[in-house]
Amino acid sequence: MVQLASGTSVSERLQSEKPALSWVTTAARLILAAVLVAAGALKIGAPALSVQAVRGYQLLPDSVAQVVGYGLPVLEIIVGVLLAVGLFTRVAGVVSGLLMIAFIVGIGSAWARGLRIDCGCFGGGGPLAAGREPTYFWELMRDVGLLACAAWIVVKPSGRLSMESALGLTGPSGSGDDDSAAENGDSAA
Amino acid sequence: MSKRTSEAARARIAAQREVLRKQEQRKRMTMIITVAVVAVVAVAIGWWSMRQGAAEKVAGGLAPITVQEDGSVVMAKAGVTSPVVDIYEDYQCPACKQLEETSGSTLKNLAAEGKAKVVYHMITIFQQDPTKSNSLRAASAARCVTDGAQWMTYHDLLYKRQPDETTSGFGIDDLVKWGKEAGVTAPGFESCVRDQRNSAAHQQNSAQLISSLKLEGTPTVMLDGKPMDTNTAFAPSALRDAVLSAAKS
Repeated sequence: MVQLASGTSVSERLQSEKPALSWVTTAARLILAAVLVAAGALKIGAPALSVQAVRGYQLLPDSVAQVVGYGLPVLEIIVGVLLAVGLFTRVAGVVSGLLMIAFIVGIGSAWARGLRIDCGCFGGGGPLAAGREPTYFWELMRDVGLLACAAWIVVKPSGRLSMESALGLTGPSGSGDDDSAAENGDSAA
Repeated sequence: MSKRTSEAARARIAAQREVLRKQEQRKRMTMIITVAVVAVVAVAIGWWSMRQGAAEKVAGGLAPITVQEDGSVVMAKAGVTSPVVDIYEDYQCPACKQLEETSGSTLKNLAAEGKAKVVYHMITIFQQDPTKSNSLRAASAARCVTDGAQWMTYHDLLYKRQPDETTSGFGIDDLVKWGKEAGVTAPGFESCVRDQRNSAAHQQNSAQLISSLKLEGTPTVMLDGKPMDTNTAFAPSALRDAVLSAAKS
């Protein structure tokens, strides 16, 4: 009883203190989720093409490119859906942040090496047709913005309208469980 | 009196602990179930995606293959004239190799089933070396093969041995040797390859196709003259569905 009462009072106090901030988390979650799910969904139907897009960067050995080409769309969709519904948000935030860093490194290095490729972010990919120019700058700007969303989610996870709050999965002892849980999800993906 | 209050306090603490323990238990259970659900969904999506990318096996023999005068190669059962699947590809292009590995067997099967007429057009879009000359050597060598079945074996072998885009490859000696390996029996094959006899004809044909069809890149797959979305061309089951539905209409 006391525990419950004090528990609610604590969370109420936190929320009444900074109600706007938890909505910021929700907004960051939804933006990141929309981009990730779209990116994954546009690629997942033709994984062979996705592998080809990864090869276009000429960064990874072929066997790794295969795994990334097949795995990335699945991972994007899973992480995107977790962010959208608000489950394991901190871990999903960490994973999407790492993805954005990987994309920034990949696109940046393609730019630096003078490659002329489509980033393959939302399907397609590989060398550009003659007469088309790469759009590395805007791709980098977009990913930096999404990285900021991910960072915010990691610092202030959950937010309003999250399933983990509704299920009572948030709380002091929850973070440890969260980690192991997400590792399971990743290995499955 | 302090004893009584402390007993009451102890009982209250024990009750609180019990409530807390139950909460923790419920939380752990919810966590396990949630993780399990997420894992199952992830595996299901991954499995579906793997199936989308999985190549068909070439079930039986191939449909009759004929090498045309202009270098294009037709694979179709006798009497099958539609739908027409045109493939514009290049032995040196990595995405073409990927297309062959992913969807090549589907096209062979569709032709063998009498569901499509498949036409291969080898073109060269590369403007710079080493890719340009690699592509020209390979394409003109393949035009030295006159028998359709041998051409297909050679075609598949060339893709399997595709050189890296940064190195000079498809050397003349290799092209001759691989021709023998593919069982090419055309009498003038070796001299035809060594002299690059078909290089000019290939370049002419290629340039003409690129400009008349406004080809932007390789591979381009066309179904009854309309460019096919790469998401379809690179997904065997989607490709099969598209061709079959074109056959019906």
